[in-house]
Amino acid sequence: MDEVIIEDLTKRFGDLTAVDHLELNVPEGSIYGLLGPNGAGKSTTIRLLCTLLKPSEGTASVGGFDIIESPVSVREIIGVMPEESNHTLYATMSTYDNLEYFGRLYGVPEAEIPGRIEELLTFMGLWERKDDPAGELSTGNRQRLALCRALLHRPRVVLMDEPTSALDPIAAKKVRELIISLAAKYRQTFFINSHNLAEVQRMCGRIAIIDKGRILLNGKTKELRSKLQASQNFTIRVNDDLEKALSIARSMDFVTSAEEEVDSIRVTIEDPLGNNSTLMRSLLSEGVQIFEFAEQETTLEDLYLDVIKGGVT
Amino acid sequence: MALRKSMLVARADLRMAMKVKMVKYGLIIMSAMAPIMLIGLVLLLALSAPAVAAPVIAMLDPMISPVIGIMVIVPASMISANALVGEKEQNTLEPLLCTPLTDRELLIGKVLSSFIPTITLLLGSVIVTEIATNIILTSVGAEVILFPGVSSLFLLLVAGPILIAAVVSVMVLISGKVKRVYEAYQSSGVVVMVFLIPLILPMLSMNSGGTADISLVWLSNIFTLLFASVLAIVTWTLAIRRFNRDRIVSM
Repeated sequence: MDEVIIEDLTKRFGDLTAVDHLELNVPEGSIYGLLGPNGAGKSTTIRLLCTLLKPSEGTASVGGFDIIESPVSVREIIGVMPEESNHTLYATMSTYDNLEYFGRLYGVPEAEIPGRIEELLTFMGLWERKDDPAGELSTGNRQRLALCRALLHRPRVVLMDEPTSALDPIAAKKVRELIISLAAKYRQTFFINSHNLAEVQRMCGRIAIIDKGRILLNGKTKELRSKLQASQNFTIRVNDDLEKALSIARSMDFVTSAEEEVDSIRVTIEDPLGNNSTLMRSLLSEGVQIFEFAEQETTLEDLYLDVIKGGVT
Repeated sequence: MALRKSMLVARADLRMAMKVKMVKYGLIIMSAMAPIMLIGLVLLLALSAPAVAAPVIAMLDPMISPVIGIMVIVPASMISANALVGEKEQNTLEPLLCTPLTDRELLIGKVLSSFIPTITLLLGSVIVTEIATNIILTSVGAEVILFPGVSSLFLLLVAGPILIAAVVSVMVLISGKVKRVYEAYQSSGVVVMVFLIPLILPMLSMNSGGTADISLVWLSNIFTLLFASVLAIVTWTLAIRRFNRDRIVSM
């Protein structure tokens, strides 16, 4: 069952179309990554889904509730971590009071609030700071607190805008693990905007790439990465004669790009299974000594850049 | 609609406002000014002419007691000016708008966060003035009277809260329309001027003998009550109808 269904969703601000006839389905219990450059329409999409903005056209449903017809029902089942969420806390309220306030607004049973707050703050390493005003916490700690706020009422769908942007690598890893475990254990659905491609690759089973308000690519992360297997990057470490290696590589029809790096060349080969041995033989026959001929892992960054440049559809 | 949720918003707003010393003491000082002035006047009359102090105070009452209402309307407009645009400036509005609060619950919460302290201060000012007046008059052997008197109590405790509700509603409406807190404060100055007019009407009832014409005082009080009721209904209806999350977030 799909927890988020976006149908022909469009949002215009005057002449600017921020979200342009978007179509997306997010299955229950999945972690969905929405990637795109600045101004692509990612944050507007989240704001539409959490009923802050009204669509100009089309609609969406979250947990079976229509965002236009039943906005309050939508807000009851979502948790939101807005853009720059570390700035969205009540600075003069204590860490504990920030969570207690939102717990009550979301209708968490009064008796359960203290336990849930302690559990989340302890997990995030903030329990010792529970009486400190939120404004006195570091940027990273405020981001952790905003995450606690989004999860406190155990929402069915969590909408997150750059959830780990202000976190150190250890905290970011911990948050990723928490998200993965919540999705697996409680079938919570996560819809995440991120610029951090490595993070999305590690966490999201499905991704969509959006630009100028339109979805350019959408599907399971593994399947999308395999689209790039038709051409593959290789790093070839050779003796000192980099220039010669580079000119040989560039003379081959199946080499679509060849660039010099510090002590190696980086080539992109079409149909690599048949062609990488041809390139290797040509280099050896011309007297180029090869120390390493290594296949580079296709990353989400490669995919992202290809899609944004219009290479993969 | 759950009033409980509105009360949560109001309580949170109040707690935050009271943590700011300037707001807390500013509110108390503004509200204390009217009782201090009235009690000072009573003290002066009681000491200078104890025999006639009570009748003179009763005669002046309809013209000077409304100052208590005037002095609490100013902080009410200031607090409510901050209601939505203040949260927007502090970036706390989006998470609040993402909660299951309905528009009505949120607006009632914002109105209550200004209305509750203002009414508390109004009642406090009236009670303090009544008690202090009678302690002073009793101590000089003068007659015990109501000051503020019956007509002023009607104005302050019946028409006053409705007028305050109207001021607060219009300020919450403005707060949702402007981009910056200072714009809301500037608007609050104009609003206060308009809403103060009904409170100064009893002062115009002075006749040629220098005393208040009591029938005119009651007439102006009834007018104020009707005026405040219409204003409260109109401003609240506008605040509800014009509240637009999309516009607030997009601004």
